Amino acid sequence: MDRSPRAVQRLLLVLALAAAMLFAVVAPALALVNPQVTLDQEQGGSPTRFTFVAITDKDASITGMDFTFPPGFDLSSVSFDTVTLEGLVRRPVNVTGAAAGETLSLKFAPSVEPSSTLRVQIHDVLTTNEGGTFPLKIAYSTESTATGTRVLSHRTDDTVKFSYTSLSFAEGISHNLDKNSFVAGWNNVKALGMFFKPQLVVTSIPTVITGWYLALVWIAFAFPIAIVGGLSFAFMKMSKIPPLRWIAAAYINVIRGTPLFLQIFVAFIGLRIAGFRVDDNVTAVAVLAMNSSAYLAEIFRAGIQSINKGQFEAASSLGMNYAQSMQYVIIPQTVKRVLPTMTSEFILLFKDTALFAAVGRPELMYQAQNIVANTGNMTPFVVIAAFYLIVTIPLINVVGRLEARLAVSEHGQSPTEKTKRRGGRLMNELAQSVDPYRATAPDSIHDDNERG
Amino acid sequence: MSQYIVRIEGLHKSFGKLEVLKGVDLKVTKGEVVVVLGPSGSGKSTMLRCINKLEQPTDGRIFLEDIEITDPKTNINQVREQIGMVFQSFNLFPHLTAKANVMLAQRKVLKRDKAEASRIAEEQLRRVGLGDKMDNFPAQLSGGQQQRVAIARALAMNPHVMLFDEVTSALDPELVRGVLDVMKELAAAGMTMLVVTHEMGFARDVASRVVFMDEGVIVEEGTPEEVFDHPKSERTKDFLGHIT
Ligand SMILES: Nc1ncnc2c1ncn2[C@@H]1O[C@H](COP(=O)(O)OP(=O)(O)OP(=O)(O)O)[C@@H](O)[C@H]1O
Ligand SMILES: [Mg+2]
Repeated sequence: MDRSPRAVQRLLLVLALAAAMLFAVVAPALALVNPQVTLDQEQGGSPTRFTFVAITDKDASITGMDFTFPPGFDLSSVSFDTVTLEGLVRRPVNVTGAAAGETLSLKFAPSVEPSSTLRVQIHDVLTTNEGGTFPLKIAYSTESTATGTRVLSHRTDDTVKFSYTSLSFAEGISHNLDKNSFVAGWNNVKALGMFFKPQLVVTSIPTVITGWYLALVWIAFAFPIAIVGGLSFAFMKMSKIPPLRWIAAAYINVIRGTPLFLQIFVAFIGLRIAGFRVDDNVTAVAVLAMNSSAYLAEIFRAGIQSINKGQFEAASSLGMNYAQSMQYVIIPQTVKRVLPTMTSEFILLFKDTALFAAVGRPELMYQAQNIVANTGNMTPFVVIAAFYLIVTIPLINVVGRLEARLAVSEHGQSPTEKTKRRGGRLMNELAQSVDPYRATAPDSIHDDNERG
Repeated sequence: MSQYIVRIEGLHKSFGKLEVLKGVDLKVTKGEVVVVLGPSGSGKSTMLRCINKLEQPTDGRIFLEDIEITDPKTNINQVREQIGMVFQSFNLFPHLTAKANVMLAQRKVLKRDKAEASRIAEEQLRRVGLGDKMDNFPAQLSGGQQQRVAIARALAMNPHVMLFDEVTSALDPELVRGVLDVMKELAAAGMTMLVVTHEMGFARDVASRVVFMDEGVIVEEGTPEEVFDHPKSERTKDFLGHIT
């Protein structure tokens, strides 16, 4: 029988555990029923109001609560208020409390009645930048009213969950800038704060850049189409067949003779009223391509006609037909001549995408207008100006260099290393030695590309 | 087969109301060098340009051997490849090197393969004395050199006749010789040539026949001696008097 004491021991242990579990489940565990927490901000990284609502147990009144937030939360500037709700009636609860680290301890005096709906609002909790789902640990002290004596129990195992999304990278930087004293001083200077507010620069870029992509995608489709269209109209206008010439001339004159703004409205609003429903981006690309093709047609035509007639005659006298003469003799020379003007046309077209803001297409201008309307600050306009310039300045540069190179080659110079290094004097000499081309080279084909 | 390489019958050409050619008849036999003289505006260039239809004749007929060029059914490009033409203003393709200038029509019109076109281009450029300038662009060549490239370009097509329209007029005096020398060699090699020029020395030395044109008609023609030394027409005398 030397085994029995151990069996009894084991039995007692099991009973004790069962009793403990029973106690844990039954007694003050349900001091709060249906606890919920909501927060104001969907995004992390900013001061947020937490609203905690629960129903107190019918047997227990609450004397105090501890809210423990996840690590990294900043409670240094929180304030709080507590009410009980009965239907539409709110009763303030006298509450005192203090924050220590991530824990806010509240004491209610008098204690909160059993079976009441308790609402605690905690203001200005600074959440972390990183989003996710987090636990809010809640501990509370209760007074049992069933026995009339005050039984203090302290529970720490209740948690409610809440979640928010991550603060965007740009807004993270913006929040850091908010804290920077130099930035604050900068923004205090009215002109700087109104047009160059660093926070808005940072936060508007992610939005505005989508408008930039959109404009670039439009152009990436529209310009090649416009080149093909422009070439077609140029050849139509030079055609021997009168109706083709008339069609081309009419098209070119109507498009160049009316504002692009009007063309956009006709395409977006007129067609819609007429019952046509086309994808907005397709419409935008079509309008840009049609507009540009008219300008390119004139650029190409002027370019082709600027090539000395003798070139075509020389090709013909060698037995080359019209297509061959164009393809191998005229067009290669034309390309070199029209490249600067074509690049200018590309720049114009890119800038013209701004007009689509008027019909609500979310390109650069539209995005900026939106932010300006929401913030009352002009900075987004400055930001999009930069986005236009990123594209246009290098191209303006390219135009300049193409024009310089063209000027040199038109004056009898070709780009070989040897002559390039020897520079200006030789070019002049060469220019003088090649009379025939100089005598017949046109001055300029650029006049044709002025836009009102 | 016709005994004439080029035969012009009753050629008329008007630009609007202005009648430039008023009935020109001219026959050029194989191997002949015909030099056309005449005052400015007499229609020399217009006549040459009618031969390969760079100008559309108003009336009359032109034959290249047995082909009637003026027949609307004739494929003019096929005729043109057999007629070499050299212009006063060279008209080299400025975006191509000398050799590429000579190769282009060989490849695209005669459909010669690259190696053959290249070989012929080099051969012709060497023939006009530009063996060392093949890879130069026109802008890197002197006027005389450019004109010789233009001659090589025409020769590479194996033309049956060559038309030269004042090919030395745009050149500095010291560059004229080189071009004329090339033309002399060409004549010596038996090329049929129609040459409009003001170079009287060249006409005397090289021409098998001299044609004097004035006001859209051929006034006089004959051997260089006949025309230069014993001109029959007053107009010819007048013209030669002014020139020399
Ligand atoms: N395309 C044209 N349109 C109108 N008139 C023309 C045209 N080409 C030539 N002409 C006129 O025709 C006439 C003859 O010109 P053409 O060039 O044949 O003369 P030319 O004998 O070659 O003279 P030059 O010695 O000056 O070259 C001139 O009066 C000229 O003005
Ligand atoms: Mg002439």
